[in-house]
Amino acid sequence: MSLIVLLLAPLAGAALLGRATGAAARTLHAAALAATLGAAAAVVVGVAGAGTVTALDGLLRADALSAWMVGLIGIVAALAGAETLAGFPGGAAGESRRFYPLFHLFVFTMLLAVTTDDLGLMWVAVEGTTLASVFLVNFHRTRASLEAAYKYLLICSVGIALAFVGTVFIYFADAQRIGAETHALRWTTLVRWAPQLPPAVVELAFVFLLVGYGTKAGLAPMHTWLPDAHSEAPAPVSALMSGVLLSVGIYAVLRFKTVVDLAAGPGFTRRLLVLFGLSSMAVAAAFLWAPTNFKRMLAYSSVEHLGLVSLGLGFGGLWGVTGAALHLGNHALAKSVLFVLSGRIRDAYGTVEIPSVRGLLAAMPVTGRGFVVALLALLGLPPFGLFISELMILGAGFQEGWGPAAALGLVLLLVAFGGLLRALHSMAYGAGGSAAAAARETLTWKGAAPIAIALSLLVLTGTAWPPGLASALERVAAVMGG
Amino acid sequence: MTATTNLLVFFGLVVTLLLVWRQSWPARVRLFVAQSILLALLAAAIGWLAGKPALLVVALVFLGLKAWIIPRILWRMAAGTPLRALPPGHSSGVALLLAGGLVVAAYVIILPITATATLPTADAIPLAFAMSLIGLFVCVTGRDVLGQVLGFLVFENGIFGLALLATYGLPGLVEAGVFLDVLVIVLLMEGVVMQIRREHDSIDVDRLRELRG
Repeated sequence: MSLIVLLLAPLAGAALLGRATGAAARTLHAAALAATLGAAAAVVVGVAGAGTVTALDGLLRADALSAWMVGLIGIVAALAGAETLAGFPGGAAGESRRFYPLFHLFVFTMLLAVTTDDLGLMWVAVEGTTLASVFLVNFHRTRASLEAAYKYLLICSVGIALAFVGTVFIYFADAQRIGAETHALRWTTLVRWAPQLPPAVVELAFVFLLVGYGTKAGLAPMHTWLPDAHSEAPAPVSALMSGVLLSVGIYAVLRFKTVVDLAAGPGFTRRLLVLFGLSSMAVAAAFLWAPTNFKRMLAYSSVEHLGLVSLGLGFGGLWGVTGAALHLGNHALAKSVLFVLSGRIRDAYGTVEIPSVRGLLAAMPVTGRGFVVALLALLGLPPFGLFISELMILGAGFQEGWGPAAALGLVLLLVAFGGLLRALHSMAYGAGGSAAAAARETLTWKGAAPIAIALSLLVLTGTAWPPGLASALERVAAVMGG
Repeated sequence: MTATTNLLVFFGLVVTLLLVWRQSWPARVRLFVAQSILLALLAAAIGWLAGKPALLVVALVFLGLKAWIIPRILWRMAAGTPLRALPPGHSSGVALLLAGGLVVAAYVIILPITATATLPTADAIPLAFAMSLIGLFVCVTGRDVLGQVLGFLVFENGIFGLALLATYGLPGLVEAGVFLDVLVIVLLMEGVVMQIRREHDSIDVDRLRELRG
């Protein structure tokens, strides 16, 4: 029941917002956000109590891994949605009718992808995330955003079609063994039959699935759409894309990884995940060494962090897997805060070029401080959660016999660290904090509170884990099969 | 059954290779329609011979979507595009040769599938996979937006054929979702292509090179 409410809240919001304008639209938008967040919390609590929650004859099913993703999507959607509660700076009145419905439709497709047990329907939902967000990427309708939207649509559609080939191969292996059972593409069915599936077929399928869903997750070398789409989309959309859309791609890979590991042993998927993880971190580090545009910088940093998650999953073991899951959450919080704030900085300074943004701390005290703190968190400094999850992932590498890979990962992290720190220094200090920027810093508690909450959550995951987090992560790891 | 499906997929592959060879847009759309009709026939044939009436419905929907609605959208997208003469010294010989190489590659990649398949349609699986690989090749090497979109659609068609031959059709819910997705993709592409033409006065992909780094 709670799953149905969870999906209906954003879907109904999207349908109603297509007709509403002005203050009514803003109220409805807030209501839909609150309902989605509330339903997400209900699902998380339900799963914590009962282990799994199902609906519609098992078509919808949430276990610990789903609940983790549902929680992240709920939080990031609320954070990103809150940024548009007051409307759009400089946007025409009719713009909200283009923005709000697609925003909630986007959230709906992501929630559907992580709460369905049917891997075919999951594919449809992941494709749906692209379709719902193409016009959000092209929201500003500039030449650059148009180009970004085209690349995004084409590259992700091709990627997701490759994932479909992988899904077909899995179904082929499955249907050959157990006959065309009606639930043959259900994850629960596949896990039950996995030990009997032919290893060569599921391994081939996994290559297609990893390349396909890895495209959505922004893993290099399939990441080329990501910096364009993330930098051209309006800031709240970038926050959603970077914070949770990429994680949904990883989630899809994980569902299949469980099946493939049961059929063919874990060695194959682990090697591939380490390979893609390292290549992503290398590509990101090469760009992050000398970034020029702060939204692209944040986008490449997402490639880096999703690469790190992939690395953790590849290293395996309890630490690697729980570290990767925790890192998904930490990255979602830090990166969505940074993208939301980058939107404010862009509006104030009128540019996304790093050299043109000087004296941020003086010009925009609240936004500037939030940006600095969130970027320090992203860099993996204590007391923030990313420090812990990065430690867990790299520690797992050394523990599980992936020493050289873990050492290389650490070096790549340090390269990115240096580049990001220089960019931060250049933006935060220096003279030339323009008067225009200072005049625009009109921050109310409504604008500051979501940021403060997200950053405090990051401190919590980095210092004193709230009750239930450790057991939730352990159960996530149990779902993934360690 | 084996003879019928093999023949249909073989013709489909021939049409796909012709699509690599031909350069004029109307001819390429017609070849895409021909490929779609062959695949619809394939779905109907498998549905009839394997006793799966649901596949007849799939064949009809596929025919309507891929052989009628989407080609109409493609015509609309191309309206107003001047027919481009081929630059001198540029022929499709090399492309055709590479496409032939992809057929061989398809056989090698798909080996684990054919090795375990016991279906009467198994022999045609590599051919359908080759169709999708060639579509991907057309998509990646497309010199304008239309070529890339067409390549993507051929790719998608090949995957449809692959799924048919390997599984005799996916669950209805998934099949319906796939059709809806393809339609929405093409409609979105049309919107984007129209806007690209307004902005750039051209649909060459070379114009889409502003975002770098």
